[in-house]
Amino acid sequence: MHCPVTAVNQYNLNLDDRRAAYIEYPQAVPLAFAIDTDTCIGCGLCENMCIAKAVDYADKERETKVQVGSVILSSGSQGFDPSGLDFLGYGKYPNVVTSEEYERILSASGPYFGHLMRPLDREEPKSVAWLQCVGSRDANRSGNGYCSSVCCMYAIKEAMISKEHAHSELDCAIFNMDMRTFGKDYEKYYNRARYKDGVRFVKARVHTITEVPETGDLTVKYTDETGAMQEEIFSMVVLSVGLKIPETSVELAKRLGIELNQYNFVETDPLRPVESSRPGVYTCGVFQGPKDIPGSITEASAAACLAGADIAEARGKDIEKVEVPEEVDVAGQEPRIGVFVCNCGINIGGIVDVPDVQEYSGTLPYVVFTDSNLFTCSQDTQDKIKEMIIEHQLNRLVVASCSPKTHEPMFMETLEACGINKYLFEMANIRNQNSWIHSNNPDIATAKAKELVRMAVARAATLRPLNEKVVYINKRALVIGGGIAGMNASLGLARQGFNVVMVEKEAELGGFSRKLHHTIEGKDIQAYLKALISDVTAEDKIRVLTEAQIVGFEGFKGSFATQVLVNGEREKIEHGIIIVATGGDEYKPKEFLYGEDARVMTQVELTDRLEEKGAGDLSTVVMVQCVGSRNEENENCSRICCQSAIKNALHIKKLNPDAQVFVLYRDIRSYGMLEDYYTEARRQGVIFIRFDKDAPPEVESGSDGVVVTVKDHILQQNVEITADILTLSAGMTAADTDDLSGVMKLNRNPEGFFIEAHVKLRPVDMPSDGIFLCGAAHGPKLISESIAQAQAAAARAVTFLAKEAIRLSAITAKVDVDHCVKCLTCVRSCPFDVPTFNEEEKVIEINEAICHGCGVCAGVCPRQAIQLSFYEDDQLIAKIDALLEAA
Amino acid sequence: MAEEAIKLGGKRKSIFMDKVKELLPEGGNLNLCLTCGACSSGCPATGLEGMDPRKFLRMAALGMDDEIMSTPWTWMCTMCQRCIYVCPMKIDIPQLVFNARATWPREKRPKGILGSCDMALRNESRSAMGTSPEDFDFVVGDVLEEYQESQPEFAEMEAPIDKQGAEFFLNQNSREPVTEPDEMVPLWKILHLAGVNWTYGSKGWGGENYCMFLADNDAWETLTRTTINQADALGCETYLNTE
Ligand SMILES: Cc1cc2nc3c(=O)[nH]c(=O)nc-3n(C[C@H](O)[C@H](O)[C@H](O)COP(=O)(O)OP(=O)(O)OC[C@H]3O[C@@H](n4cnc5c(N)ncnc54)[C@H](O)[C@@H]3O)c2cc1C
Ligand code: SF4
Ligand code: SF4
Ligand code: SF4
Ligand code: SF4
Repeated sequence: MHCPVTAVNQYNLNLDDRRAAYIEYPQAVPLAFAIDTDTCIGCGLCENMCIAKAVDYADKERETKVQVGSVILSSGSQGFDPSGLDFLGYGKYPNVVTSEEYERILSASGPYFGHLMRPLDREEPKSVAWLQCVGSRDANRSGNGYCSSVCCMYAIKEAMISKEHAHSELDCAIFNMDMRTFGKDYEKYYNRARYKDGVRFVKARVHTITEVPETGDLTVKYTDETGAMQEEIFSMVVLSVGLKIPETSVELAKRLGIELNQYNFVETDPLRPVESSRPGVYTCGVFQGPKDIPGSITEASAAACLAGADIAEARGKDIEKVEVPEEVDVAGQEPRIGVFVCNCGINIGGIVDVPDVQEYSGTLPYVVFTDSNLFTCSQDTQDKIKEMIIEHQLNRLVVASCSPKTHEPMFMETLEACGINKYLFEMANIRNQNSWIHSNNPDIATAKAKELVRMAVARAATLRPLNEKVVYINKRALVIGGGIAGMNASLGLARQGFNVVMVEKEAELGGFSRKLHHTIEGKDIQAYLKALISDVTAEDKIRVLTEAQIVGFEGFKGSFATQVLVNGEREKIEHGIIIVATGGDEYKPKEFLYGEDARVMTQVELTDRLEEKGAGDLSTVVMVQCVGSRNEENENCSRICCQSAIKNALHIKKLNPDAQVFVLYRDIRSYGMLEDYYTEARRQGVIFIRFDKDAPPEVESGSDGVVVTVKDHILQQNVEITADILTLSAGMTAADTDDLSGVMKLNRNPEGFFIEAHVKLRPVDMPSDGIFLCGAAHGPKLISESIAQAQAAAARAVTFLAKEAIRLSAITAKVDVDHCVKCLTCVRSCPFDVPTFNEEEKVIEINEAICHGCGVCAGVCPRQAIQLSFYEDDQLIAKIDALLEAA
Repeated sequence: MAEEAIKLGGKRKSIFMDKVKELLPEGGNLNLCLTCGACSSGCPATGLEGMDPRKFLRMAALGMDDEIMSTPWTWMCTMCQRCIYVCPMKIDIPQLVFNARATWPREKRPKGILGSCDMALRNESRSAMGTSPEDFDFVVGDVLEEYQESQPEFAEMEAPIDKQGAEFFLNQNSREPVTEPDEMVPLWKILHLAGVNWTYGSKGWGGENYCMFLADNDAWETLTRTTINQADALGCETYLNTE
């Protein structure tokens, strides 16, 4: 704040300024100031001002040597720089920005504090155009032949957020060749943007952008689908730039001696998706290939799984154990409360009169000690708090500072380290809920801080020590499904030293992949399966149960018991975690004469046909995309079928270059490196014709072939193709898991795929702890993606299995059975289905091991017969009374 | 749908586009079209005759050879290369257009271009106006003299024809010596002030090549060769094309 230097803020992509002493961005870890040595003038001001004496101008870059078992490369990408594409006017017209710049513009921590404004005049735009595929899918000007996979989704997101931020009607138009919303539930988002929120999607690539000199608006000319020239004026244009691997990563790869592909992504084998060409060096995220967050997180866990297996023997070594002293019994003791008021640098202290609040807190009941600190969360303050707890025999701690969400666990640990039960702790949030909001009114802020502290002290006096249930982790894993995902997950676990029981309902392992021949890259899937099955069966730690059915289930994280029916006999398996890998199937079409005309077949059937009979006898093959996907019945995209069509089209062309192949599509979704195969298919002469969802192709059985009529999107004229074979790109459906999800109470989406804990951030965890998900059971995906997710699930499971025991939170609901009238309101209200009615005992039971402690039941119970420990009625009432006391 | 459906399927026939692909490096990338429309969005001929470069290429790809070879649109393309400049697949549409022009019987091709090409073939000036080397020599000399006299600061200015050993060989738009002779002078002045050692050629001075636009391969080669041979004969190092 005091630094006199103004420097360009690179984090906001040069759209605003910062000081030479700066924090890079609010979410940075560690959240600490740095000095930009390029612009710092060495005036000494910050060194003099710093109370903590943390500034050291002489600090230098240091080289350190660390010995490691493996290396994971996750250096990601940077946005493509469009300066070289002169026709787009980037760098010339201020209101043409890249999508990365636009993200900063929309961000609350960005240059305009989240207000939607354009750079030229800081006016709110009336219309914004996005141009897709800038620096992607472009062999000419950028040389990047691949699809960046993420820009279609982020453009939709940016458009939706812009519409929310805008104060008046905002016109958003996305100029694209194909909208590639192929991720789980992404198509729903696309449809919402298109049909509900009125984002316009224009099928066109724009040639040139010009500026209207008087207004700074931008003229965009394009030919529409009918070939008519259109001209539109936009306030702003956003270039949806692709993902590009930076030169620094290329050098890093060279130093490490790993191979990169022609676009500088790490060269990987589709069947070993996160392994680089050098053993022990793994990769994940965009350096592996263009992908979005869930995919990157999944691969990150997958890489951790393989890295963990490499050093499995060393597990548990080199760990420092924290010794926790015996708990002091405070029962019967009068409360002795210590209050620590935090300045949070100047965050609180700059507004609230902290000494006044401290002094005031000393006057409150049971308070025997008070203190104030510059940063209560710093390590030295923790040590000081510990000393004070012991010196003043404190048995309750109140910290008046920031949010319990972020800091409560840390202060609780401090209590435990002094032998005090961690639930004898209370926080008053005098920052987020006070100094930040009332920064214009210090007097009110100080008065409110006192009230918050008074409330906290009142509650603290009523707190009781709580005991956390300790669950010893059963180290065995249960994997459901013996397809490629299930087998890879099992191997991942076994190779890290854990026992696995893998349950498969069919007689044979391999799942859907048994019906597939080659990947698009040409990998032999059957050979891979054979090797995988023999690895699994040879592994001592894996017990395979085939023709097995799950019929009973109970328990909770760390301690499950599952009943499996094998050969007519029930067996009970105890295990600590579950991995669900029940896979998927090909949709069985009802449309386009499937099942009526033998010349109509699915892509999987066509592959079989090509393997058996070749393509020598074929003159013309027509393929129809999105069969059983992206419609009313199944709103989502099946992700794999565009590449299936391209793979088979290329196969036909290879077997018989004279055969004609026509692919009728809605959007070609050959994301990432798959784009190269799409390009190759066109090079081989495959013709792609786009049709509208509302005008699907018409199909008739003819004597010379199946006659397919569709309107060519460029000529706007019908084409009538007589085909020897009509192939339907049937989508992917979830396996039938009605019974399983019933027995195990696992939630699925309307399409039958299992639901993860968080779509973006926890893509392999299921909402209940200790249960993980991978492969097609989660959503349609390729073999390579199923393998990565399976390895990821194993890694996530190991974070659990590696522990001896876990302590469950003591914050759980308890039923007072004497007052309960068995109205079942709690049973109906719990979002996690925890309360159950015990028919025999005729009581409501809440299993504290699975209770999430959300308190919904305690709130809804009409008889107040449920108490949530740590938030019991008397504790909350004490707080409210304290608030009203002074008034 | 007013028009009849385009019939496809059956045995693959060789189409016009295949032949053009054989002529071009990388096949002119003609197969690679993404139908994105960048070309037609920037083409000055879009919409003329209901055609645009993307449609033209599409018809070629679907084997609609009759339409491709008969549409007058092929003569409306300016060969400006704007399409290939931004095309993500670097598709050589101008070459496809050029080869489509070449399929037209010579006498059916547009009169203006045809006439200009024929004029250029008449004598060794290679001028689209049919101006002879002698007439060119006379006009240049006459204009030069006029300026040398009326503007004393340019008394030393030259406009040489067939100057042996000149560094630059300059050509000349055919129209100016005939209709606007004064228009030739500004460039002379610049070259004079810059001290450039240049020359016209008595043969091959005509700058434009209508035979190329006419897609008459033999003829445009004849025109170009006349120019290059003359420049070589004079020992010029650099050919300055002013067109
Ligand atoms: C039409 C189609 C075409 C495809 N083409 C390609 C391609 O070209 N390239 C590519 O990379 N990928 C392709 N895929 C994707 C590929 O098939 C999947 O990525 C892969 O099969 C996923 O593996 P998985 O183990 O998750 O599921 P699956 O292979 O389906 O295996 C799941 C296993 O779990 C078992 N199971 C199910 N329910 C239970 C239960 N209740 N109890 C016990 N066991 C159970 C099943 O019997 C099965 O053995 C295609 C998929 C489809 C549908
Ligand atoms: S098609 Fe691919 S490269 Fe183009 S914008 Fe969409 S995701 Fe990006
Ligand atoms: S064919 Fe399949 S992958 Fe392609 S867009 Fe349709 S549903 Fe998606
Ligand atoms: S070269 Fe021809 S087709 Fe290409 S933009 Fe110019 S006029 Fe249009
Ligand atoms: S710009 Fe290129 S790829 Fe796009 S429509 Fe034109 S020719 Fe096809």
